[in-house]
Amino acid sequence: MPIEQIDSETLLSGLLKEMPDRIEKIREKRDAFLTDAVLLGEIPSPTYAEDNRIRAVLDRFRENGLDNPTIDEFGNASAQLPGSVGQSSILVMAHADSVFSPDVRHEIQVGSDSMTGPGIADNALGLAAMISLPRILKDLGIQLRDNLTLVANAKSLGRANLEGAHGFLETMSLPARAGICVEGSTLGRLSYSGLGTLRGEITLQVPGDYDWKRFGASGAISHLTSLVNQIREIAIPKEPKTKLVFGGLKCGSSYNTSPRQGSLRFEITSEGDEIIGQMENQLNDICEQFSAETGTLVKMEVVAKRQNCGIAFTHPLVKSTRSIMQEAGITPQVDPSTGDLNALILGGLPAVTLGLTTAENLREVNETVHLDPLYAGMAQLVTLIEAIDQGICEE
Amino acid sequence: MSMNQDTWLERNTFHHGAFWDLIKLVKEKEKKGLKISLCIPTLNEEKTIGKEVLILRSELMERYPLVDEFAVIDSGSEDKTLEIASNYGADVYLASDILPEVGNKRGKGENLWKAIHQLQGDIICYVDADISNIHPRFVYGLVAPLIQRDEITYVKAFYDRPLNYSSGLRPSGGGRVTEILTRPLFSLFYPDLSQIIQPLSGEYAARREVLEKIPFPIGYGVETSHLLDLYELYGLETFAQTDLDRRVHRNQTTNALGKMSFGILQTFFNRLHAQGKLDKMPDLETFYRRFEVEDGNYRQLVQEVVEEERPPMIEIEGYRNRGTSS
Repeated sequence: MPIEQIDSETLLSGLLKEMPDRIEKIREKRDAFLTDAVLLGEIPSPTYAEDNRIRAVLDRFRENGLDNPTIDEFGNASAQLPGSVGQSSILVMAHADSVFSPDVRHEIQVGSDSMTGPGIADNALGLAAMISLPRILKDLGIQLRDNLTLVANAKSLGRANLEGAHGFLETMSLPARAGICVEGSTLGRLSYSGLGTLRGEITLQVPGDYDWKRFGASGAISHLTSLVNQIREIAIPKEPKTKLVFGGLKCGSSYNTSPRQGSLRFEITSEGDEIIGQMENQLNDICEQFSAETGTLVKMEVVAKRQNCGIAFTHPLVKSTRSIMQEAGITPQVDPSTGDLNALILGGLPAVTLGLTTAENLREVNETVHLDPLYAGMAQLVTLIEAIDQGICEE
Repeated sequence: MSMNQDTWLERNTFHHGAFWDLIKLVKEKEKKGLKISLCIPTLNEEKTIGKEVLILRSELMERYPLVDEFAVIDSGSEDKTLEIASNYGADVYLASDILPEVGNKRGKGENLWKAIHQLQGDIICYVDADISNIHPRFVYGLVAPLIQRDEITYVKAFYDRPLNYSSGLRPSGGGRVTEILTRPLFSLFYPDLSQIIQPLSGEYAARREVLEKIPFPIGYGVETSHLLDLYELYGLETFAQTDLDRRVHRNQTTNALGKMSFGILQTFFNRLHAQGKLDKMPDLETFYRRFEVEDGNYRQLVQEVVEEERPPMIEIEGYRNRGTSS
């Protein structure tokens, strides 16, 4: 066995011994990050309008005495906790946007063992955990050699297509050794690959001069239903694994009037980039043919497209993460990501996404996170940062 | 409106934003050797108490040590209020356990009154338990004027009301009971006090030396009595008020507001009686005073409302003669 590997294993097992103690210490010091989760979660932060929440994050970076608190041209807030050597950095990223519009009442309720409110799991809690890292490291007596770069990235979800994360990585000055994306849920989540994704919106419009007497003439709802049926005829391969999901259908507003326009949202995910390309072509063909045959205007817009990417299951970063999870009593659930992890890995960084606790009613207004499992979730995050800092996670 | 009132409104009305620098505030507090106690009176508040204790304690005791003592004083909750409050680190007391020799009366005022005995602070800040958008400003906005200005002894909160008019002006006032009952009563009997924008708000901070000198109604009249009694003892100059922006809380039913008004009227008339204002009724004021805000500036609007009266018709000669003249 090479000496380096022995060293890594010894170092890692040294860190793992600390786990029970860390979980308890983090539980004792929980108030600051639970408070941040509530205060940040109550600031509405829909994608493309994250400014208020981002400014609150920046204030916290300043209050915590971090270096270079900045909001960049992409709307991301970032800052550094300087390391004792500081030649490279470890990147910890949590997205600041949420799926909830500002019209939703952003109120978080705090119970004895849970917190409930829109966006608390995705991703107010992840954001608060990221912000709290310098304080927790200090409380645990951990001094990193690397700088710790903390990022609250804007414009992550939906149409934004990871714009904030991509922008940050393109302009980042200090080389990063590895990255961690933090999500409030779910505990055990281990993503080390980004899944090839295509998100699109098909709009259908019945033109003003439409001939309502022609054979098969109908309103937008009937047309969209036919279109959905045609799309469902596309053969979806079992290998590479591929999935097509219809995520939204908007059409009509009354009981007795045929609507003239409507839209359909969908997502294709696949482990094969070529399959995504083929399906995109097939969808375009279907839309074109449907438009010609029905006299309607059908357009498909691709709003987000991501390539497959990833690091190996056997990569030391993934292996160390699994060992750390196991020691913290967390069962790893391997789950390819469609989120910010893609930007990190495509940017050349070995990276993983972790979840912090168990949650219910995700993306509903009564989204709930459980507090008891959270402390193990935080301990895994801190320990992984320390493992990266000690060079245990490098190939 | 007299110049004196203008000056008071300008000098003693604050916005919480002026006190954002908590490090500075903590230093000033320490320099003056002041201790600050925070008291939340509760009765079945499990939905909101967890967040209040978590945020206020974490921000104002751990991050910035502005508050020295944090107590929840309960009237006998039957839900999880006490468990949750204690879980997040508040000192939890049953009002009935404090000064047992004076007996136990059930009401918010009882908890506020017993807090004076139980808590150690030179300044006591009271915050209601039903605020769903709790934020540290609800405390530092109220204690800051007491820390910075020695002559101020009692600071009252006021809030934005989510009412908008197309002109860009909006009325800035209290809730329904304030606008329909308290402000008209103050305009009639205590015009100075009509400058207090939300006399019934449940959030205020005061010095122990004044709290210990006044009686406490145990029910709805406690906020009104504080203003009337301290005004009688020390005048308007010792009061201040702070704009805490928005407060989100439960909406009360009209019936509950009626009950509240009844309690306030009792307190009010007791004071009028004690101060001899009922026996020797002065000429009633004819100026009605309310507030308006424009670009963050509060302005008192004074409107003359003279309730002129006509005599009974029977006393009018023309009426009496109307049958005979045709």
